[in-house]
Amino acid sequence: MRARDLGLASCHTCSLLVRMPASGHVHCPRCGSPVHLRKPNSIGTTWALLIAAMIMYLPANLLPVMATTYLGNTQADTIMSGVIYLLHHDWPLAVIVFVASVLVPLLKILALLYLLISVQRRSPLRKAQRTRLYRVTELVGRWSMVDVFVVALMAALVQVGALATIEPGGGALAFATVVILTMLAAMSFDARLIWDEYGEHYGTAQQAR
Amino acid sequence: MNQSAPLDANPLELIACHECDTLHRIPELAPGRSAHCSCCGALLLHNPKGGLDRPIALNIAALLLLVLANAFPFMTLQISGREQTTTIIGASQALYEAGMAPLAVVVIITTLIGPALVVISSLYVLLGVRFRLPLPMLRSMLSWISHLQPWGMLDVFMLGVLVSFVKLAGMADMVMGPALYAFAALIVISAAAMSALEPHLLWQRLGLPGGQPHAR
Repeated sequence: MRARDLGLASCHTCSLLVRMPASGHVHCPRCGSPVHLRKPNSIGTTWALLIAAMIMYLPANLLPVMATTYLGNTQADTIMSGVIYLLHHDWPLAVIVFVASVLVPLLKILALLYLLISVQRRSPLRKAQRTRLYRVTELVGRWSMVDVFVVALMAALVQVGALATIEPGGGALAFATVVILTMLAAMSFDARLIWDEYGEHYGTAQQAR
Repeated sequence: MNQSAPLDANPLELIACHECDTLHRIPELAPGRSAHCSCCGALLLHNPKGGLDRPIALNIAALLLLVLANAFPFMTLQISGREQTTTIIGASQALYEAGMAPLAVVVIITTLIGPALVVISSLYVLLGVRFRLPLPMLRSMLSWISHLQPWGMLDVFMLGVLVSFVKLAGMADMVMGPALYAFAALIVISAAAMSALEPHLLWQRLGLPGGQPHAR
């Protein structure tokens, strides 16, 4: 038995079950947050944020995240060249950074694409696995921020005049944008849509009007 | 789950899974136990050990460590007799000075403001509920905690510290500052503080505004 079948909605902030009125607009009596049967316009919002993230993914990986000037020579580093540098010095750390900064954003974008398309096609398959995929996607996303912190720390430390300086590059900003956009996209996706049966989407839309 | 049970008996016993909307009737959980969704496996409810006193103690410790971690130098870089020291705020400041104000804002929110707000609002709510104080904004503060939590990235920042250590070790001598030890402790304590606090239980204890019975 699912909450929506009984006309009940779970408050997303405090989990109180609230009986939905015909208007579809109600505030939680316990915490005051607006309550919806499903996150409003979840699919459209998630698509918008995800497409923005995919666009920003290109400059995030192509532009240098920092420029190192050491004894007069300047070298620009992208996310990938940073991973390759680490590979020569400390390979376990290189693997962690590769997973966090290269694989996780890419897989996160692919996972959200798959979730969105399968929900829109009303796929009845692998619902539990797709829910688990969503849960993992939401959990691991923040770890991609690691390279942004590396750039910030190195730029703060390596400011020793003519000897060595590190300047943050545009890629770092683009990269942080990708991480934030994918985090917001995962938050705006409503996993319960995976479980909604065919026809239920229309039912809600009519109720809301 | 019992389909024939009347819904209005006690709505707080009834919880819908946030990820698949399956209704569950949850008995009172013993301390340290948690309830998972029978349909998709998501965590429904957790009753941490130690009641309200443990998260209060952990959050006070986290607050002190947060102050220590920000008050002292974090790392020092020595290169040909010259030294450069940074703090947590210094990392964000460096981005700001390099003309990347938006990135500086992201870094300061994820490393300082976000975690600090989580700790302070957790303490505020916990003390309010524990000692039944009629504090203003108690409910909005509690609502904020779960929205703020994903944006605190102390653990991710620590990984960033490790990576920059390795990267800079080839170029200069790195010295760990006292703040780094406070920071390492802070990560452990704040993670423990977060798992010791279950917002659902606090909401249950708060009940409806004005102490009304839980009827709709």
